[in-house]
Amino acid sequence: MDASELQPITHFLQDRVPFDSLDEAALTRCCQALTIGYYSKASSHVPLDPDNPQLYIVRSGAFEVRDKNGELLDRLGEGDYFGFPSLLSGEEASNRVAILEDGLVYHLPPEIFDFFRQQSREFDRFFNRAFAKRLRNQGRFKAKDLTTTSRITSLMSKSPLSIDMKASVADASKLMRSARVSSVLVIDNNKLVGILTDRDLRNRVLAENLDGSLPVHQAMTTTPVSIEPNALVFEAMLMMSEHNVHHLPVVDNGVATGVVTSTDILRGQSSQPLLLIGEIERQNDLPSLIQVSKQIPLLLQNLISADARAEEIGRVLTSVTDALTRRLIVLNQQVLGKAPMAFCWLAFGSQGRQDQAACSDQDNGLLLAHEPDDSAKGYFEALSKAVCKGLDECGYIYCPGDIMAQNPKWRMSLEQWKLVFDKWVNTPEPKALMHASIFFDMRSIYGPQSLFDGLQDTVLSSTKGNDIFLAGLTGNSLTSAPPLGFFRKFVLERDGSEVKGIDLKHKGSALINDIARVYALSAGIKEVNTAKRIRALMEQNIINRKDALNLADAHEFIAHMRLSNQEYQHTHSLPITNYLLPHNVSSLIRHQLRDAFKVVHDGQVGLKLKMMRSY
Amino acid sequence: MRHFYLKTRLQIKAALCKQEEIAEYYQALIPLIAKPVADIPLMAFDLEMTGLDSQFDQILSIGLIPITAGVLEVAKAKHLLVKIVGSVGNSATIHGIVDQQLAKAVSAKQAMDWFLTQTKGHVLVAHHAPLDLCFLKVEMIRSYHQSLAFVAIDTMAIERKRLLRKHDVIKEGTLRLDACRQRYNLPVYAGHNASVDALACGELLLAQMASIAGNEKLNLADLLG
Repeated sequence: MDASELQPITHFLQDRVPFDSLDEAALTRCCQALTIGYYSKASSHVPLDPDNPQLYIVRSGAFEVRDKNGELLDRLGEGDYFGFPSLLSGEEASNRVAILEDGLVYHLPPEIFDFFRQQSREFDRFFNRAFAKRLRNQGRFKAKDLTTTSRITSLMSKSPLSIDMKASVADASKLMRSARVSSVLVIDNNKLVGILTDRDLRNRVLAENLDGSLPVHQAMTTTPVSIEPNALVFEAMLMMSEHNVHHLPVVDNGVATGVVTSTDILRGQSSQPLLLIGEIERQNDLPSLIQVSKQIPLLLQNLISADARAEEIGRVLTSVTDALTRRLIVLNQQVLGKAPMAFCWLAFGSQGRQDQAACSDQDNGLLLAHEPDDSAKGYFEALSKAVCKGLDECGYIYCPGDIMAQNPKWRMSLEQWKLVFDKWVNTPEPKALMHASIFFDMRSIYGPQSLFDGLQDTVLSSTKGNDIFLAGLTGNSLTSAPPLGFFRKFVLERDGSEVKGIDLKHKGSALINDIARVYALSAGIKEVNTAKRIRALMEQNIINRKDALNLADAHEFIAHMRLSNQEYQHTHSLPITNYLLPHNVSSLIRHQLRDAFKVVHDGQVGLKLKMMRSY
Repeated sequence: MRHFYLKTRLQIKAALCKQEEIAEYYQALIPLIAKPVADIPLMAFDLEMTGLDSQFDQILSIGLIPITAGVLEVAKAKHLLVKIVGSVGNSATIHGIVDQQLAKAVSAKQAMDWFLTQTKGHVLVAHHAPLDLCFLKVEMIRSYHQSLAFVAIDTMAIERKRLLRKHDVIKEGTLRLDACRQRYNLPVYAGHNASVDALACGELLLAQMASIAGNEKLNLADLLG
């Protein structure tokens, strides 16, 4: 036998984990034991012979592993493996392997597989891990292993300690002692009315010389700040530090389902985004804020390399921007004095949607409680100019379209803002519709929520069911279409033309943002984050579940590709752009991107059918 | 009907043949002809030669790899170096075979004995089979004083037919082994020797069969064209 002559096989395997852990003799033995098959889409599935389990090594082509319910478990390209679960468990294969792209597959017989598992710990560990991972994937939308991007539900104590509001503080204390916790939820008729903590017992009972017979409701903190179970751990940390509390009741649709404490969170590890925000809040002048904000690109790189979901990266980065903006407002108010009236700092566009990435520019405005007099005008001009300048110096460049609070045009009273929105909605000229994509994604990041609600509620009630406006907005969003797929080294557009690269932002993410926005405005949904909008649309049955999940997946996938492409550009010292070049993309990713574009296209078609019927 | 014709031809040849080795070679092929391709033992092979003229140039090496039940068996791949008269000269740069390595080579007669033993009971597979068969036949006459009607599937002929059926224009180079393989998403192999090319050709046949028929059964006649 002369397998040493078959270098293509040896060369392929020796670079693959875990085959790279084998010595030369073992590798030769492995190559000699292989058989090679070819699977074509024409036969749709790889026939897995239950009597002859093998390790399948993908040499070329693309495959998809689904469980017996049809749930997607994994997509495989060159150098990936399948068939190992039944080799490890000894059970009959229950998964099906669909052929996405024709390809060549090496088969390794079970006796050699077992031999290598005994020979090499690394080999054994690799496949055991892969097996565990495959099992974990049986369920979608798994949060990655990162403190900041995991959810509250993963940390909170599930059966919270609670007590009736009429009970005495002595009883409450005994309950807390026996459960060894530092807080108890106070309930009245199954409704959360307050929280009693160690600190309350100290400050409101002992320090006041009161005794243990005091009813709980007189010592508790009433209407405590609470959080929803879906919130990110990171958002809970933020909330605690903002309100200076250590306990957050977790409330799901009005019902208290748990408590999360600062200790719960600390049990994880100290996390960088939070440290960064903490640092931002400690700085007392602009130069030191500029210094701190230099860490933001590093934070982005770390989040990408930790493989966080793109949606979560967007939310984390936007939280940093929000914190920076708030700190700038506070610092400048220390110089300028107290504001002459209530106001909200509005964020539009990507900051509004919470999907900021690298090199974002500013899109902001100022909402004033009522019409300012000249001195108030002067105050807000000075404030907004200082804040915008500060943001610019911290790396958030001035908006090229001048949509900023420092522009007097976007510094208005509630009444003026209502008029402006009213004009956009009721006379939807092309320019107004272009504005819509930026202004309708608005969020207040500083100021009283009631003031902001006053504006948002009015806007949403005017857009809800407004056929003419929605048709115009839809028409505007359909002027750009996603590509069809790839052809050799080019991106294939829907009209058949071939271009060098894909603009993942304008031909991908932005189109999904548009779709979600039109539907959200049509239904009066308050969310502005695209993923949250889609979720809300699904819950209200405005988009069916399957389409909504597809759209959310496509949004996440395209955003993820954009971020990892930017990381690639960053590590190769290339200019950071939204352009993805096809030759940097594996056949598997090509396939997945093509799928994602298909979803965007279907979404556009659906939107057109729904919103432009009257045309 | 075609397999019936081929079978008859092989039977006549076997009956007329005076040499036992060759008659047996035919006899081993006859029962295979009517079977579906998936059930026929196939042998992908490739020859390296000193040049392209079968009258003057010589076989340098032979690579073999069997295909059983639709999979290539790497374990049974074989490679044989053949002694030549004179030096490998310039073509050594192509094949990477140097005179020194030829020390362990066997004579042309031994090589043909070996080839008949190895491929007996197999239908051959080669890319541009007529050229390789031409060299084999010349060598058969030299060694056995008798030619042999090998049965071989030509992956290049299959590819030509497939492209013409799709009304593709066949440009120069589109039928080369590497070019054919790319159309089926098969990897590019650097470095050529008889073993690698036999492997490459065997993989191409698997790809062609999967694309032509999918899960349907193919007959040998469909591939002999």
